[in-house]
Amino acid sequence: MSIIKENIASGIELYVNKLNKFKTVTINVYISNKLSDETAKFALLPSVLRRGSFSFKTYKDITKHLEDLYGATFAYSVYKKGERQIAQFKMEIVDSTYLKEDILEESVKFISDILLNPLISNDGFEQTYVQQEKEKQKNIINSRVNEKTKYAVERCIEEMCKDEDYAIYELGNVDDVDKIDEKNLYEYYKKAIKRLPIDIFVVGNVDVDDVKEFFNKYFKIERTSVDVIPDTPILRKIDKVKYVEDKLDVTQGKLTLGYRTNVNPWDEEYFSLLVLSGVLGGGPFSKLFMNVRERESLAYYAQTRLERFKGLMLIMSGIEIENYEKALEIIQKQVEEIKSGNISDYEFDSAVKALITSFNSIKDSGTQLADFYLSQKLSHTNYSIDDFISKVKKVTINDIVDVSKKLQLDTVYFMTKK
Amino acid sequence: MMEVFNDLIKEKMYKYEHESGLNVFVMPKKGFIKQYAMFATHYGSNDREFIIPGESEPTHVPDGIAHFLEHKMFEEESGSVFEEFSKNGASANAYTNFTTTAYLFSCTDNFYSNLKLLLDFVQRPYFTDENVEKEKGIIAQEIRMYDDDPSWRLFFNMLGGLYRQHPVKIDIAGTIESISRIDKDILYKCYNTFYHPSNMVLFAVGDVDVDKVAEIVNDSVKTEKRNGEIKRIYPDEPTKINKNYVEQKMSVSMPLFNIGFKDNDIGYGGKRLLKKDITTQICLEILAGRSSDLYEKLYNDGLIDTTFDVEYVGEVDHGYSIIGGQSVDPEAVKKALIAKISSINKVDDGDFYRIKKKILGRFVKSFNSVESIAHNFISYYMKDINILDFTSVIEDITPDDVLNRFKTHFNEDNCVLSVVKP
Repeated sequence: MSIIKENIASGIELYVNKLNKFKTVTINVYISNKLSDETAKFALLPSVLRRGSFSFKTYKDITKHLEDLYGATFAYSVYKKGERQIAQFKMEIVDSTYLKEDILEESVKFISDILLNPLISNDGFEQTYVQQEKEKQKNIINSRVNEKTKYAVERCIEEMCKDEDYAIYELGNVDDVDKIDEKNLYEYYKKAIKRLPIDIFVVGNVDVDDVKEFFNKYFKIERTSVDVIPDTPILRKIDKVKYVEDKLDVTQGKLTLGYRTNVNPWDEEYFSLLVLSGVLGGGPFSKLFMNVRERESLAYYAQTRLERFKGLMLIMSGIEIENYEKALEIIQKQVEEIKSGNISDYEFDSAVKALITSFNSIKDSGTQLADFYLSQKLSHTNYSIDDFISKVKKVTINDIVDVSKKLQLDTVYFMTKK
Repeated sequence: MMEVFNDLIKEKMYKYEHESGLNVFVMPKKGFIKQYAMFATHYGSNDREFIIPGESEPTHVPDGIAHFLEHKMFEEESGSVFEEFSKNGASANAYTNFTTTAYLFSCTDNFYSNLKLLLDFVQRPYFTDENVEKEKGIIAQEIRMYDDDPSWRLFFNMLGGLYRQHPVKIDIAGTIESISRIDKDILYKCYNTFYHPSNMVLFAVGDVDVDKVAEIVNDSVKTEKRNGEIKRIYPDEPTKINKNYVEQKMSVSMPLFNIGFKDNDIGYGGKRLLKKDITTQICLEILAGRSSDLYEKLYNDGLIDTTFDVEYVGEVDHGYSIIGGQSVDPEAVKKALIAKISSINKVDDGDFYRIKKKILGRFVKSFNSVESIAHNFISYYMKDINILDFTSVIEDITPDDVLNRFKTHFNEDNCVLSVVKP
């Protein structure tokens, strides 16, 4: 796997990975920002840009154009990695090998049109677009409660990181959305597009020189200085565990435990942490699955998730409400087992192998490849997928025990019924 | 080994029939790291009543049993089969829907030994009173999780509005009450009825060797012939819908809605079903897709947002279109939709060809991932459709087909509005 890197302009980096096994070419553009009181504004930008551009004035015009490009998809999402807020624009087009025409140039032109030539009137974005997208954004923020499994984890993180920027929801809050109008948003946009770091990843069966040429041609932005997004603070000492309960109209309780890992994304120990998380709750071989689900029949799911860029490990499960005490005890016992080195060869080997399989699997998806490269960049590491695999292979049971000593339970969150 | 080739997407597929009647399909994907295999039986939650081959009286089973059986197949006398897959670095899983129970694994190494494991464990049931009881607690939590999921409730409430008799209106996992009636004897009965190789299919995709797959199948699949056919008993479903409005209150931030249209042009599979499926997709895109006038109007009026979506589900014995999302006023969305439908009396050529291009592009794209290839393959196979026929069938569809489908399928009489309200 070879990746070609090119600077398009100051702070705009283009990475191209030519691979001919895919049926599509994926183009991912990531714009990074720091979570702050401008988070709502930054989050609103992609949806306003997607409503209309200089060349395609309406959503309908844009959609028709994409359909004409053989159902090319253009999607955006806004999320966070640590305290870095990222707007991702993803375009996926059918590889021209399977078509009667080459649509790559047209696609690059389209993306740059959406991002760089927005529809402007009276020194602001189109007013109705901004109003409608504001309403939509507020609705999305309010509808977080709909998906209980996800919401329980987000609530746990929010309570845990109350006094840190990481608690900010990736789309901001409703009050901040209300303060936005077409003029202040456009002012913000002009500043953002000039100053924020932009990373572009192209994966697929493309001619590398063509890609470079098209981006150089269409992605011209005058840029002088580029903001540096600081690394997210990770280390934290916990004096007292927080217990939080939300009462909602639900039949199942959601028990979530938030741990501080105190491991930086660039630390070698991160690989031990990965295996630890696997042993604890990374699959059917894991301690949580075996004990919470299979032995005690307490839950359908009980698993772990790592937030690498904030140094968090979450344990999540859905349980019968009256089983709260019992489930909490059994879950914490599994963490203690790891700390005291009670890890079987089977648990350990399976966790390592599962990680190797999942890293290898990244190679089969253009989008996942792009995300992997981005994560490397953000963690200031320059590892290939194979480097990741060999590092995971080197982890020992002792390494897991060592890194487990850094784990600190911060918050126990329980979603229960009214 | 029979070979099928699709020139447009440049994919090849091999077919092989084992002497037990098991159909085996392999799609080699050179250069892909991941390998994926699915072993599926034509048995789902809809099969609540049937006559076992060799018997004369029908057997009724508790709701949720196909799904319960799926859970229990992973347990072996020696422990859990997950253990064996985990040792190979593979991840195994399964799902049950209305018509199918499928077992699968994905891996990047040891493909052939994983394949053997898959074939072995699905052919080796092990149910005890104790392990059946234990599973009830786990599945109860799965049922509760779905009870709290507004989209899932919305969907089943819609099916309950569309259907009066058809088992598709019943939750796949059953209820906590219905699963309490499941015991090991009835599980064995269902297993023995539906898990015969002649009622099953194996699909493998990835950088794998076709002959080696056949070799493992020959070594592992039992060759006992089946004596007689399974007779599945489904109640007669009237063409009329059950109710035109269903509502449930849940903890959501704003109303969610599904508008469902019951399909009464049913009773067949194969290319004819595939053609209907694609034709209906074209209808839905023209009617309410992202580039439609209706979408633009509803969006600008603040009645829908980007969660708004359209879908057609076409099975052999039932089918429905769904138009759904979240809205402050679902009734108004339905009204606008019905008004739009009644105004349609021709299909614009420009729209028609553009949407066709889009659907074709989406099809090509779906061959990018071994998971989506396998899932699409199995779902089409259960309807007697060969996925590689897609490109020739879409070619055949005319604007007249689309207009006819509009007239027959999209009527206010066979339409239900399901709403989940805060």
